[in-house]
Amino acid sequence: MGQLAAEKHTKYILQIEKKKDDIESALTEHLRINGAYWGLTTLDILGNLKAVEQEAVISWVMSCQHESGGFGGNIGHDPHLLYTLSAIQILSLFNKTQILNIPKVSTYISTLQNKDGSFSGDKWGEIDTRFSYLAICSLSLLNSLDKINVEKAVEYIISCKNLDGGFGCTPGAESHSGQIFCCVGALAITGCLHYVDKDLLGWWLCERQVKSGGLNGRPEKLPDVCYSWWVLSSLIMIDRVDWIDKEKLVKFILECQDIENGGISDRPDDAVDVFHTYFGVAGLSLLEYPGLKAIDPAYALPVDVINRLFLK
Amino acid sequence: MSEAVPSSYSDPSSLLYQLESILESDPLIDEVGFVHPSQFASMSDTSQANTTEMSFWSKDHKVGISTESIHPLYTAAKHAFMSSLHQYKMLIPLHSKKVDNISATSSPLTGLENELMKHSRALLLLSCDFGTAWNCRKEVVLNKQDIRLYLDELSLSSLVLSCSPKSERTWSHRRWVIKMIAGKCTNLEEILKNESDLANRIAEKSKMNYRAWNHRCWLVSYMPESQVIDELIKYRDWAGLHVADNSCFHYRTRLMSRTLEDSWYKQDLKATEICQLWKEEITWSEILIKRYIGREALWLYRRFLSVCWMKHFAGHSHTGGSGSGSGTHLDLFVENEIKLFRWCKRIPDNVFEDYQAQAMFAATYIIWLIKEMDEDEGVRSRRSVVVEKVGEEVEQVVNKVCPEKAFLLDLMLTKTKV
Repeated sequence: MGQLAAEKHTKYILQIEKKKDDIESALTEHLRINGAYWGLTTLDILGNLKAVEQEAVISWVMSCQHESGGFGGNIGHDPHLLYTLSAIQILSLFNKTQILNIPKVSTYISTLQNKDGSFSGDKWGEIDTRFSYLAICSLSLLNSLDKINVEKAVEYIISCKNLDGGFGCTPGAESHSGQIFCCVGALAITGCLHYVDKDLLGWWLCERQVKSGGLNGRPEKLPDVCYSWWVLSSLIMIDRVDWIDKEKLVKFILECQDIENGGISDRPDDAVDVFHTYFGVAGLSLLEYPGLKAIDPAYALPVDVINRLFLK
Repeated sequence: MSEAVPSSYSDPSSLLYQLESILESDPLIDEVGFVHPSQFASMSDTSQANTTEMSFWSKDHKVGISTESIHPLYTAAKHAFMSSLHQYKMLIPLHSKKVDNISATSSPLTGLENELMKHSRALLLLSCDFGTAWNCRKEVVLNKQDIRLYLDELSLSSLVLSCSPKSERTWSHRRWVIKMIAGKCTNLEEILKNESDLANRIAEKSKMNYRAWNHRCWLVSYMPESQVIDELIKYRDWAGLHVADNSCFHYRTRLMSRTLEDSWYKQDLKATEICQLWKEEITWSEILIKRYIGREALWLYRRFLSVCWMKHFAGHSHTGGSGSGSGTHLDLFVENEIKLFRWCKRIPDNVFEDYQAQAMFAATYIIWLIKEMDEDEGVRSRRSVVVEKVGEEVEQVVNKVCPEKAFLLDLMLTKTKV
């Protein structure tokens, strides 16, 4: 089995951080703050966060903030919970959440909660359990969960549980590993995992492992490195991780590396990107691959960052 | 006549102008695609010289954009959009609340709104999830309150989906439009039918597209009862041809679940019809399972059907009024499932993979059934009967074809509820 090309991955991330003019960077500029979170967290897990210019990153993140308190995906882009969590996570990595006007940010988030407990992603009202996770994770990192009706929020998430044990984006929507991570993560953060049928959900999740060892996101789909994070972190949170073959999964992730230029792709021999590089490295961290910092399965941040925040 | 548009100018803003003019000139454009310049030659009239330098192609309401032009076009569209947006945001507070309807058509605000709509359209075709552009369109449409503008948004988002079928922001924009017009327009049912057809067309081209199917599931809550039944019947054949598409079977899950809502099946007359519908669906599912060997989505759908059947029909008295009592119905059902398991667990000597998968799914299906029987008070008493009848056979199959799933046997053997 190959090894993790940690140094190459560090180089790869540092190099895309600087690149802003190629077509890939241009076409994804509306979610650059997500990209920054993926890249920086990967660097931290690899033990190389110091290689970036912290001040420049932080001042750029802060310039994505709006009057409302929410963050956009880049300067001049509208705010959304998707980008607000990434901003908070980046600041957490640098131990800099104190520079935020926390009441303002948490008010932005709490006003997006609806009567039934669900969350809209922004003022335009689309509802999704992903947004519940984003809100709950953000507020928890800011120690401000008391700003929302947690009981109602949990109730809504439970209403999105399907007969197969999984969760979808709204009540009755198809189970999807990404959505399951969001729902289980939100329930873990709020201390409500007892609402999950762990055997049933664990069953659905372990059926995501295919012959190659990789995990897929839904039945009959091809495996994809990003599910190494979503399925695996969920299995860990509900204590059923032994139901998959971990060794085979490690092998699958390592096979998706670009050994020469760094970066990880969705499947072996595909083009790499920062999204899959993060999920591959984070997945390996969950699998306790040697030399990597441990990552928290619910907050999707290194465990030492979470400890620093909560044990302060 | 095909219209090949030579890119006589290389600067990005004239490229943008060309694209916007093409879009403006034909409101019936229904498909946009990105084409490598070398492909233009085969698409255009032979008289066209120098097709490799073309940036756009358009014919029969279809538009092709050269892949070489995407980057400069995107940059130009983004700058044009962002600068109009900036001006718009400065102007809008001055106009708030007191829009003069008579002069509105010629006000600077209207001019700016037109610019914004034009630039955001071009931008979204190039970068479908550029949320700020969708948001600003919502803002403009909301200010005007004209139902036709809402319908225009449905057309634009269809166009974007023609080249970016998985775009989440685009599907979300459609839901916003439908929510806004749901109470205002008289032909909502027709709009919903069109939505379902659109989602189906896109699902045909882009397989297992979660966003398209999710949109379709979302529509179900707006559908009148008759349409729910129509959808189930109309798309049954389609599902039979796409047996690996889990999303398509989940859509049926959603439709079937709606028939179980209180207002439906608690009416006596309806209950008989619905029961019949469920019976047919269960029979159909069995036919598919036997015809298409080793398909995960089919087995997962059967898990759903069985659990609901036990919960709502087999264990209850209103299963059609045959007067034979609930127990018999349940026993008959369970007997049938065991037969299905035995049929599917056989692995012929000369074929391997699909049959092994089939045997595995059949075995895990029975484990599932047993676990779920334990969860349901109405059928719990029959659980031990099933374990006794096939427990050992299931164990043998699991140990033979998927020993790594042996832990599932514990779920079958440990009785959690008393």
